[in-house]
Amino acid sequence: MSVEVKNVIKKFGSFTALDNVSLRVESGELVALLGPSGSGKTTLLRTIAGLEFPDNTGEAQVLFYGEDVTHIPASQRKAGFAFQHYALFRHMSVFENIAFGLRVRPKETRPPEKEIRARVEKLLHLIQLEPLGNRFPSQLSGGQRQRVALARALAVEPKVLLLDEPFGALDAKVRKELRRWLRHLHDEIHITTLFVTHDQEEALEVSDRVAILRDGKIEQIGTPEEIYDHPASPFVYDFLGNVNLFSGRVKDGAVVIGDTEIATPTAAGEQDSEAVAFVRPHDIRLTREAGGARTFRARVLRCNAAGPVANLELERLDGSGQFNAQLSKEEFQQLQPKAGEEIFVELKNIKFFSDDYSI
Amino acid sequence: MTPVATTFRSPPQVVHHHTTSEPPAVRRALIAVALVFLSLFLFLPLVFVFVQAFAKGIGFYFHTLNDPNAWSAIKLTLLAAVIAVPLNCVFGVCAAWAIAKFDFRGKNVLLTLIDLPFSVSPVIAGLIYVLVFGAQGWLGLYKNADNPHFPWLANWLNEQDIKIIFAVPGIVLATIFVTVPFVARELIPLMQAQGRSEEEAARVLGASGWQTFWRVTVPNIKWGLIYGVILCNARAMGEFGAVAVVSGRIRGQTNTMPLHIEALYDDYNFTGAFAVASLLAFLALVTLGLKTWVEHKNQELDEPNPQMSQIPQIK
Repeated sequence: MSVEVKNVIKKFGSFTALDNVSLRVESGELVALLGPSGSGKTTLLRTIAGLEFPDNTGEAQVLFYGEDVTHIPASQRKAGFAFQHYALFRHMSVFENIAFGLRVRPKETRPPEKEIRARVEKLLHLIQLEPLGNRFPSQLSGGQRQRVALARALAVEPKVLLLDEPFGALDAKVRKELRRWLRHLHDEIHITTLFVTHDQEEALEVSDRVAILRDGKIEQIGTPEEIYDHPASPFVYDFLGNVNLFSGRVKDGAVVIGDTEIATPTAAGEQDSEAVAFVRPHDIRLTREAGGARTFRARVLRCNAAGPVANLELERLDGSGQFNAQLSKEEFQQLQPKAGEEIFVELKNIKFFSDDYSI
Repeated sequence: MTPVATTFRSPPQVVHHHTTSEPPAVRRALIAVALVFLSLFLFLPLVFVFVQAFAKGIGFYFHTLNDPNAWSAIKLTLLAAVIAVPLNCVFGVCAAWAIAKFDFRGKNVLLTLIDLPFSVSPVIAGLIYVLVFGAQGWLGLYKNADNPHFPWLANWLNEQDIKIIFAVPGIVLATIFVTVPFVARELIPLMQAQGRSEEEAARVLGASGWQTFWRVTVPNIKWGLIYGVILCNARAMGEFGAVAVVSGRIRGQTNTMPLHIEALYDDYNFTGAFAVASLLAFLALVTLGLKTWVEHKNQELDEPNPQMSQIPQIK
């Protein structure tokens, strides 16, 4: 049981928004579509909703639990869609916004007025906005509007819930609150959900699985842990952010950065070639003692110990670039690095990609 | 390209900043100049219309308006407006919908065509219709041709004695021509600003195209549409040039109010001319009042609600 798209190609003029994309979302799953702008994530969502149609009508397929909906218009797909800027009906009250999907049903399937009222009240309770049913969208805050948009989408009991940058237009605090609320909501009602975001933190925190898109293709799909710990490509590594790049070489059993040769078990058997090494800031160890060939020297440029961890900016002494390191509060207090000081650097958990990859 | 709205809205309230504000004397002088100018050139003539209209007493005033020719002109003017305004309303909504909600080839051509009646002199608009539909125009030549294409059509036209020029249809056509831009021009920027997402939301929620139009689109453009209709109506009733060319000015038959006023004036019946003019001016003032009311209503909706900050955040 799943919501599935197969081999979807979609072009806008000469721009390819979706380049043969296939994706399967299991029933009850919460999947994030993560990618930079222009990567095709919103187009994919709109294709599932029926707001866009694939160019390759012959091969492409959209399936809702086995039912082929590829050629069914949006109004008959029974998908729930929450738009980036909410798209609430501005001339209708919150109550009427939520009731809209039920009121437009043909007479045979339209629930009686009493049932519509009961259902809307229930949804207002779910989004914790019971007292505001008579307000108009312009009288609500951004977070409240987004919740109304969600309730409106849920009112029609959709087969799949599609959220386009649901928290994109909100400030940081409301954003965090709302995404936790969404996660809890999903745990409660278990509706198959896809949401689009360009915020990796949001994707990793909220979803069961993350699909990373780039130039209309799915670059990697997996659980947040898989994605974070085992990025499949330099792009994913880079896009998830919070990573340092060291360009150097790879050879049998070691990565070479400048004059430093770092023994790396994963490099066993590699041909000698150019490579880019990725190291997360918290995998960088700083020390005052030279550690032989495994360490290289760097100068501390700036220290920022505000917050739960200390962030340091450093510059390699061989002049080939800056990088960031993250120390725990304890490590920072033991070491007490000063700006301008020279220090030894040791890299752990190096991940390298030996194709020529430029950012 | 965002088309420029062709109508003027009330300007927003000017906030006085001390540093950019002129000395009080200069400010007062500027206001005085504006007031004197407007009084002399706009307000006094309007007052004079009403003064002249009643120059020979109320009896003569109503006598003029009771004249069958005047009645015929009033009825014809209203008829032209009643036909032209709804047609332009439908056309305006269709055109604005197409331009604002879809991308298609020739969008700019359509935009330019909508503006054509604004840029072309009304006299030329009238002449175009004479050339096409007049006795010496295409229609006339076709009707009188020895060997026309589609002879049944030519026969039908001759049997029914369909006349367009120097008749009511021509007046209605000319009125439609000069009033085409009003509704469309009012709605295009509005609909472009509103985007498509509310309509898309309605579709995903299961609404049919018709339901989406009536329940989502129309309520959203309601005030803009009313505003456009009012302007369209004002122009439809007041149009002189284009109608003058196509009507033939047959008294009691093809004279509209503006044409009737001119006819009375040409007869040296100044008081009569002003009596009918006062009625036309009165209709214009009613329109102006309506327009101001709609603008006011519109602004009320646009303004952010002062209560918003008082609503508690609920978690």
